[in-house]
Amino acid sequence: MISQATRRITGFLAYQLDPPLVVLLLFSLTMFSAVLVVPLMVLLLRPAMSISLDVVRGLLSYPYVAWPPLGEWIIFVDRGDHTLIIVRFKDMGIILNTIMIAFSVTVIATIVGVLVALVTARYEFPGRSLLRIMALVPLLYTPFVNAFVAYKIFGDNGLLYHALLKLGMGYTIEVTYIAGVIVAQAMMFWPIVYLNTLAALLQIDPSLEEQAENMGARGFRLFRTVTLPLSLPGIAAGSGLVFIFSMEDLAAPIAFKVDRVVSREIVKAIVGSRDVAFLSIEVIVLAGLLLITALLWLTVVKQYVSLRQYAMVVRGGRWKPRVAKPGPLMYAIIYLVVFPIVIFSMLPQLGVIVYAFSESWVHVLPSGFTLDHFRELVRDPSVVNGLRNSLVYSTTATILIIIISTTIAYVASRVRFAGVGALDLLATSPLAIPGLSIALGLVILYSLGPFKDSLVDPFRNPAVLITLAYAIRKGPFTTRAVYAGLQQVHQALEEAGMNLGASRSRVLFTIVLPLIGLNVMAGAIVSFVYCMTEVSTSIVLGALNPEQAPVTYVIYEYVTAGYGGGAFIHLAAAIVTMTMALQILAITISNYILRFRYAFLGV
Amino acid sequence: MAEVRLEGVSKYFGRFKALDGISFTVSPGEIFTLLGPSGCGKTTTLRVIAGFEIPEEGRVYIDGVDVTFKKPYERNTAMVFQNYALWPHMTVFDNIAYGLKVRGYSREEIRRRVNWALELLGLKGLENRYPLQLSGGQQQRVALARAIVVEPKVLLFDEPLSNLDAKLRVRVREEIVSLQRKLRITTIYVTHDQEEAMSISDRIAVMDRGRIIQVGTPWEIYSNPANLFVATFMGRSNVLEGVVVSRESDNLYVVDVRGLRIYGVSRDKLEKGDKVKVVIRNEDAELLEEDRRSPNVLEGRVVRTSLIGFAIQVRLLLDNGETINVYLKNKTSISEEERLRVYVSPEDVKVYKALETVEE
Ligand SMILES: Nc1ncnc2c1ncn2[C@@H]1O[C@H](COP(=O)(O)OP(=O)(O)O)[C@@H](O)[C@H]1O
Ligand SMILES: [Mg+2]
Repeated sequence: MISQATRRITGFLAYQLDPPLVVLLLFSLTMFSAVLVVPLMVLLLRPAMSISLDVVRGLLSYPYVAWPPLGEWIIFVDRGDHTLIIVRFKDMGIILNTIMIAFSVTVIATIVGVLVALVTARYEFPGRSLLRIMALVPLLYTPFVNAFVAYKIFGDNGLLYHALLKLGMGYTIEVTYIAGVIVAQAMMFWPIVYLNTLAALLQIDPSLEEQAENMGARGFRLFRTVTLPLSLPGIAAGSGLVFIFSMEDLAAPIAFKVDRVVSREIVKAIVGSRDVAFLSIEVIVLAGLLLITALLWLTVVKQYVSLRQYAMVVRGGRWKPRVAKPGPLMYAIIYLVVFPIVIFSMLPQLGVIVYAFSESWVHVLPSGFTLDHFRELVRDPSVVNGLRNSLVYSTTATILIIIISTTIAYVASRVRFAGVGALDLLATSPLAIPGLSIALGLVILYSLGPFKDSLVDPFRNPAVLITLAYAIRKGPFTTRAVYAGLQQVHQALEEAGMNLGASRSRVLFTIVLPLIGLNVMAGAIVSFVYCMTEVSTSIVLGALNPEQAPVTYVIYEYVTAGYGGGAFIHLAAAIVTMTMALQILAITISNYILRFRYAFLGV
Repeated sequence: MAEVRLEGVSKYFGRFKALDGISFTVSPGEIFTLLGPSGCGKTTTLRVIAGFEIPEEGRVYIDGVDVTFKKPYERNTAMVFQNYALWPHMTVFDNIAYGLKVRGYSREEIRRRVNWALELLGLKGLENRYPLQLSGGQQQRVALARAIVVEPKVLLFDEPLSNLDAKLRVRVREEIVSLQRKLRITTIYVTHDQEEAMSISDRIAVMDRGRIIQVGTPWEIYSNPANLFVATFMGRSNVLEGVVVSRESDNLYVVDVRGLRIYGVSRDKLEKGDKVKVVIRNEDAELLEEDRRSPNVLEGRVVRTSLIGFAIQVRLLLDNGETINVYLKNKTSISEEERLRVYVSPEDVKVYKALETVEE
């Protein structure tokens, strides 16, 4: 005799998840296990088998930790008629450098991001809409090249150096090495904090603030006691992502010639290795540390917001947010601080375009407008090959994404069952998990045992793993768009279908998908574009077989070869300009479809 | 025509018991209404019957078959949702045809049946429109057509009139009744509006906080409410507190309400001295012209009057200090401050033991 409880649960499950849906779900879960969960577990567990005291001791000494730090924080060079101030910061070893950079970048990005968000959310002033759009420019993904532009701007012998020299004030500045990395990354990443904070601010019920004001709280006090605590989840989410992205970034360290950071150490170890056996235990530990940082952050953020809600947060306010006219001080802050910061942060993206269309940019000003670099692209066999590979991988990945993301989002938001929360986490967390850790986990797992020399062995055939990694890493954009769509579809519309005799999956295909089709499409477009610009797994896995490498790997090769401005950087800039145009197009289309402004912010 | 039977159905949402041992039998072909205030579990009961919720305890039978654990799409019930749940991406025709397509009918057959439904509900000519291009009343009829076209064993209505304006509401509910009389499909109807329930139902089940309080014909429930909750829920009424003075006959008692002697009937066995609640419906009082002093004559001063169409609502401050509302159907106008006498017949005075309080 089966108890009613058991029959109730099985009966409920049977109608919530009919066989086709179960198949789709199993397929999706298999993908997540194979490309995310198991590789990451292998990454974390593998050192456990062979770690020794020597390894630990090694990781605590040079080059991993350099204590006391090497070099100088700031160097003053007397050049007779002027003094050159070189801000560079000391080398503290691979691990400490990475942490120090990530920490500094996070602090700067948080201050700037919160400031810009507050200003644009709470004040009405001429140029506000323009400011909001300009603040998004640094988020346009221009792999590597923007970092080189940053270097060109304030690095060794940069534009800043020349500008100050021209002014003849008796001193001039170069911000370079580790200090340069910090500034460049802060410029790149603060909009992530900005967007998350803005979304949180727009979500705050205005009456909460009004209530506090009624009770006499104004100005900074109001901000500190009401606004800040309420927007903290958004700020925390943004800052945490900045920390993770900074640790994972390769572009700025390459541009500013900083070798000793975790990301570069991992890539250096993998590029040129012919076999997984050559991977040192230290490198695996480093990738594991990246991963653990990200997981810690996810755990913390999970306390605040379910990632599903978090996906919703980007839809902006449901109510008319409070806006005020700025006072004189606020006007000064807006036009003398906020605008300059935002414009300064756009320069790398603008510089990319300059590189793409100029004959050379060795001296202060670029010279000679040309379209040659774009012509060169279609002639250069490695670029053509890389683009073709990227297109194939991204298209395949996007198809997988449509299947996986729709399934997971649908099940997570419709099936009321224990464990559904975990699905939600699984589907959205890849955004915050360092691609380098995923890539390394994949390399280790699929070059061992039964997988060795098989179709998925990355040393023979990285194409398969690159495609799968794209699908998992860039799926959350679609998952999010699908969530948003499902929120609009009243559950009764589905129940009406089942009530009339249609099974769950029939309802999915005849009612739900037609209704959210545009959302799926909008999400898929964004996912596709971000697949095209994916860096971490592209480089790590692409390096194993350059014939199969995607275009981002080609860019990486060109910028590392064309250090500082040779012809290669122009070529890379041309590629990146095209992908930037592609992003703007995709974002515009998807925003038009979805009617929410921040749908694309991957973060 | 199918019989629907619920046996001891209980449904929990977490710790909250939304349904508490619901049992009732709906006879083949009748309109059976679940009536109760918002949140009492009416929708949940319908969803249990439709299969969207599976109860923790109890059984559901349709046509004698235990369907408690069957999937919603295996039950052949058809629900008309509160917000109609019409699919916005399908035309009226496709909305109505959906259930037939699922059942695998031929194109010809689908066309024939959909046309029949369109005809029946006066929707001819609208078949190529989309739901958003229809008025509320038309949407309602499409939802109805979509439900009946599959020839369901049971029709389920969840407050189907709540999105219509007052005038339309009366018309549509007549249409529903006449359609149901024609097709004779067993129908379970949910509403919180007692007037609506009385006008359309063969039988009514009054629900309160997850339980069925009383089942009966509209007349039985109106004339003989099982407890204070039902008595006050059906129509507008005055509740006075009193003490039993004596028992006159089988179920007739004399109650003292702050010095006033009132004769009333009770379903409960009452003793002298019991604290009781006395319920008098507004419409059960009639104006006394002549000066007659007898039990059940309530005398007082008019505090307020308001015209409510078929009658005048009069607020009367009785001489014993109580205030009551009555509807008076007289021709002459009544002015404030005037003194009035009204009479309530003992059968219309319902007395309930006071411990049956409805805690809020
Ligand atoms: N899915 C659910 N989860 C939790 N509580 C619910 C759910 N559905 C209904 N309830 C609760 O059960 C009670 C009965 O709800 P319902 O059947 O919708 O009432 P009615 O239709 O009579 O207004 C309400 O208190 C409601 O809040
Ligand atoms: Mg209801």
